[in-house]
Amino acid sequence: MIPLVHYLAGAIALYTIGMYCLASKRNMIRLVIGIEILINAAHLTFIAFSAVRGTDPLGHAIVIMSIVFAGCTTAVALTIVTYAYRHYGTLDVRKLRRLRW
Amino acid sequence: MFTEPLDVLLIFTVTTPVIGWVAYKKKYRKIQGVYAALGFSVAAYFLYELYMEVAEKGVVLIVGQLPFNPPLGACLEIDMLSVFMAFLCTITGLFASVYSITYMEHDTGLTEYYTLLLGIIAGMTGVVFAGDFFTLFVFWELMCLTSYALVAFRKQRWEPIEAGFKYLIMSAAGSATILLAMSFLYGMTGTVNFAGLAASLNGTAPNRWLYVTLTLIIVGFGIKAAVVPFHTWLPDAHSAAPSPISAVLSGVMVETAAYALIRILLLIFASTQPVWQMTLAVFSVFTMFVGNSMALLQNDLKRLLAFSTIAQMGYILFGLATASLSGLTGSLFHIMNHAIMKSLLFLCAGSFIHQTGTRDLRKLAGIRQTMPMTTIFFAIGAVAIAAIPPLNGFWSEWMIVAAGIEAGMLPFSALMIINVLFSVAYYLRVIHIIVFKKPTSMSKKAGGAPLSMLIPTLILASLCIIVGIYPGPFMAMASQAAEAALDLQAYISSVL
Repeated sequence: MIPLVHYLAGAIALYTIGMYCLASKRNMIRLVIGIEILINAAHLTFIAFSAVRGTDPLGHAIVIMSIVFAGCTTAVALTIVTYAYRHYGTLDVRKLRRLRW
Repeated sequence: MFTEPLDVLLIFTVTTPVIGWVAYKKKYRKIQGVYAALGFSVAAYFLYELYMEVAEKGVVLIVGQLPFNPPLGACLEIDMLSVFMAFLCTITGLFASVYSITYMEHDTGLTEYYTLLLGIIAGMTGVVFAGDFFTLFVFWELMCLTSYALVAFRKQRWEPIEAGFKYLIMSAAGSATILLAMSFLYGMTGTVNFAGLAASLNGTAPNRWLYVTLTLIIVGFGIKAAVVPFHTWLPDAHSAAPSPISAVLSGVMVETAAYALIRILLLIFASTQPVWQMTLAVFSVFTMFVGNSMALLQNDLKRLLAFSTIAQMGYILFGLATASLSGLTGSLFHIMNHAIMKSLLFLCAGSFIHQTGTRDLRKLAGIRQTMPMTTIFFAIGAVAIAAIPPLNGFWSEWMIVAAGIEAGMLPFSALMIINVLFSVAYYLRVIHIIVFKKPTSMSKKAGGAPLSMLIPTLILASLCIIVGIYPGPFMAMASQAAEAALDLQAYISSVL
């Protein structure tokens, strides 16, 4: 069995990748995927911890519920992206700069 | 199932589309708004009954039907603090829905609007009732998802879409951070129940992982509470949303995040208390300064109010940072006053926008002559939030400053007094512009606000005065809530 610390390292790597994606990417759909990566980092730690505790069902229940919310968030986000594309004619998030200060 | 008030809100949320369909068939457009207001009133009535029960028993524990009892199963745990917050949410929702009946009459998609409005209030009520992290997260996501849709509600314009996207990305990253913190707490203790977490973490010496989790919690909830490095979504989202929604977002949603911080930090992170007290005190001072100094520069009325919300969050978090009974009482009293004053200001700003079609302060100059009532109510709210003595804002802000001095945080209290003076400056500027300046062509054309928009603002303005003159009973309510927040033993022993 793979020791717990490897899963945790993987999760922290995923979290870092997600944050990097949010900070550096210009495409709005990539930002939405960055959010998904962040959420999946948390899911991975939940599953790893529940496996360590002899497949505790609590962690699994939380993860399944959270996957549903992640799906909802993505749906709302992509709807907003669609409207943003209609208004601005681009998916480049740096063009959405009319609101400042 | 989830206690009567929350059940009522959820039932009204899912039945509003049916009412909307009937309204569509009968060509009667205002019925959804009346239905939503009815839902909030019924929920407020049941909340009063719940309050009586809580006053009798101390803590009410609601367990699901499944054969899992807490700390393993999900539960709702309701004490005075929860009832206090839920009451503010429901009442603000009631005012927002009554106000929306006229304010939103020219918009399309009213059925969705009222469904989402009931949903966001149901989400907030669920957050404050939650007895474990899992329940809190479920209702937290309900609140977040509905608020994204409400901010971007007027999708035919560019501003709500841009603000909504910015808000969604930041807030979803915050939710993911909260989930990660939750998983670490679960890994450390094997439970996500608040009482179980408190019982297993409080006695032990804090280790590194607890500090990592504390950071994640403060960042995750801080994004929603508009703590300063993470505040950038708030001015955009609050000014782009329709005005009743701004009142709900600014009056209670941001405070729900403050509630979550109060509950979690006091209960679960008691062993690291000196660390988070200092962190929150420093962050709160930055929050006040950025909020107030940015508000000085604004010419957009709703943006000014949104920056002022950031500053008020700084005061509330400073009250929490003292972690004393008087500080928490001040914080909770200020949460209540802020819900009253900021809803009043946003609703009055909404009346100006509805009648003139602009949010620019320079174009709203001298609007007193055409909209005298709304201007008077706005001025009452502005004077109250600027902490001028006879009104309600003074009492709570003074309590927080005094509690800061008591807790040995004199420099922070001094900085807060400077900030309160700042806020006097920009609110007096706004009052000067709308009352004394010569009217522009736009403000000359405005007619008086319709009755269903005047009544909520009238009630809120009189509440400002009543709470200001008789602060005693309201302060007692806040103090009961603060006692419940600090009484960890009662909260833990009702589950374990």
